[in-house]
Amino acid sequence: MSAGEPLLEARNLVKEFTTNTGGVLSGKKRAFRAVDDVSFAVGRARTVAVVGESGSGKSTTARMVARLMPADGGSVLLDGEDVTHGTGAALKHFRSQVQVVFQDPFSSLNPRHTVDRIITAPLDYQGMGVPGGKRQLVKGLMERVGLNPDHSGRYPSQFSGGQAQRIGIARALAVKPKLLICDEAVSALDVSVQAQVINLFKSLQAEDGYSIIFIAHDLAVVRQIAHDVVVMNRGAVVESGTRDEIFDNPTQPYTRSLLAAIPTINPEWEARRRVNEQRERAALT
Amino acid sequence: MNRTESKARDDGGALLEVRGLTVTFGTPRGDVDVVRDLSFTVDRRQTLGIVGESGSGKSMTSLAVMGLLPKGATASGSIRLDGVEILGKSDAALRKLRGNSMAMVFQDPLSSLNPYYTVGLQITEAYRAHHNVSRKAARAVAIEALDRVRIKDPHLRIDHYPHQFSGGMRQRIMIAIALCCEPDLVIADEPTTALDVTVQAQILELMADLQAETGTGMIFITHDLAVVSQVAQDVVVMNGGVQVEAGSTEQIFSAPQHDYTRALLAAIPRLDDDLEELKMVGDFRTGATR
Repeated sequence: MSAGEPLLEARNLVKEFTTNTGGVLSGKKRAFRAVDDVSFAVGRARTVAVVGESGSGKSTTARMVARLMPADGGSVLLDGEDVTHGTGAALKHFRSQVQVVFQDPFSSLNPRHTVDRIITAPLDYQGMGVPGGKRQLVKGLMERVGLNPDHSGRYPSQFSGGQAQRIGIARALAVKPKLLICDEAVSALDVSVQAQVINLFKSLQAEDGYSIIFIAHDLAVVRQIAHDVVVMNRGAVVESGTRDEIFDNPTQPYTRSLLAAIPTINPEWEARRRVNEQRERAALT
Repeated sequence: MNRTESKARDDGGALLEVRGLTVTFGTPRGDVDVVRDLSFTVDRRQTLGIVGESGSGKSMTSLAVMGLLPKGATASGSIRLDGVEILGKSDAALRKLRGNSMAMVFQDPLSSLNPYYTVGLQITEAYRAHHNVSRKAARAVAIEALDRVRIKDPHLRIDHYPHQFSGGMRQRIMIAIALCCEPDLVIADEPTTALDVTVQAQILELMADLQAETGTGMIFITHDLAVVSQVAQDVVVMNGGVQVEAGSTEQIFSAPQHDYTRALLAAIPRLDDDLEELKMVGDFRTGATR
């Protein structure tokens, strides 16, 4: 990973859930380790993808790092400071630096609030003043994420899925966070819209320099956005490294099987399509 | 299951022939066509892929073929299954066809299976709806059906409930239900979308094996172009309720003619290529040149 002190470090994170064995009434309980000793670091202005199949513990890990769920063990360090158990002012400060973008834009945006109110909500919670006024900030943010600023008085239901996800991104960026945690943030989107949102994350990152923890199950998407990759399976880290290390030289059989299972288009057809398109473009000029 | 005799006449004609299919929703503000003038054919032993983004009308097309359109929607045009017009048939007649001659596999196996009944009961229910057999005989069919979709210990698993199976296993059970009456046509609507990639690979392989065994014709509906390129011989690309482009899979993927298809192909995140910026279909929609 990148040189220098990382922005965020997750150290030996553990999460246990208790399950009833032998029926609800038997009273027998068993601890199930959803996340087991997970460690990774996120460099400044880097994107770390945490990938895995359902049940791998990737979302639980993200929730613990985002302080949306208490950890049962281990610690989270932001800028070298332990933020695992902070409350009150410390937690508030943490939230001004770490923001989350969720998978389903419609269930994570209040349907009864206008875009204006949704985007400024984190500022209100933080009690942050805005130089130049909130209205100006909202318009600026909407423009940056590719929404029409004149639509700030509209409600979430008046937007398409891709547009609603942009509202979620604008909200996350309102407090100028150092770290964005994206939990399957493009999984629910159509492939064309997905491409737009991935490009948006990348271009905004280039401007603002924030880091991203990108939780995803789609490795092809991850390859387009991540600098570093952490592969999880059954609650534990299987393998981690730079994007090219993981995709070009995976050392673990699990990572290899995951990569091999991705459906791909016949490379011959792909090559022919590109040749055809190049030829046409050449003919046009 | 011994496949004694195909219910369909194998006379060389297309298994399913859809001509000029239009699906219309009546709304207070007037009629809206969600599918307009769509035509395609499906042959026995062949898979037709229908791809499109959300709202393209691909699922409405499959529901129209099955005669399962929601209230307020009407279909016009012609849908011939094995040479017989089925559009406009009575509910009773369609019910006889559904399951028996044509069956459907849906995206979400958990919401398609009844959590209160064992999987065995749900398979035999489908079978006994079309066959006048004893419970015992139907149970034997169900065990064989589970075995066929490669579920281990089918004689034990048959008495288990849906929640006792993983997502991939549940989709295998849905496939077992769809295939238990040996339909001529199977419509699979995003059958692997909710599954992990490794499980998806297993299910796709299973579906291909079973198709080779039984010779059913299949319509495979998906938004995933890579998946469709692997399973289908022919592809229909839909956008906004109309067919944008149709042809053999090789043709569509190696020499797409329409800008929309090209933009869609360019938008897929790739494993073998570093794109500075993913191409966007939006560029096509706004008419800007790429």
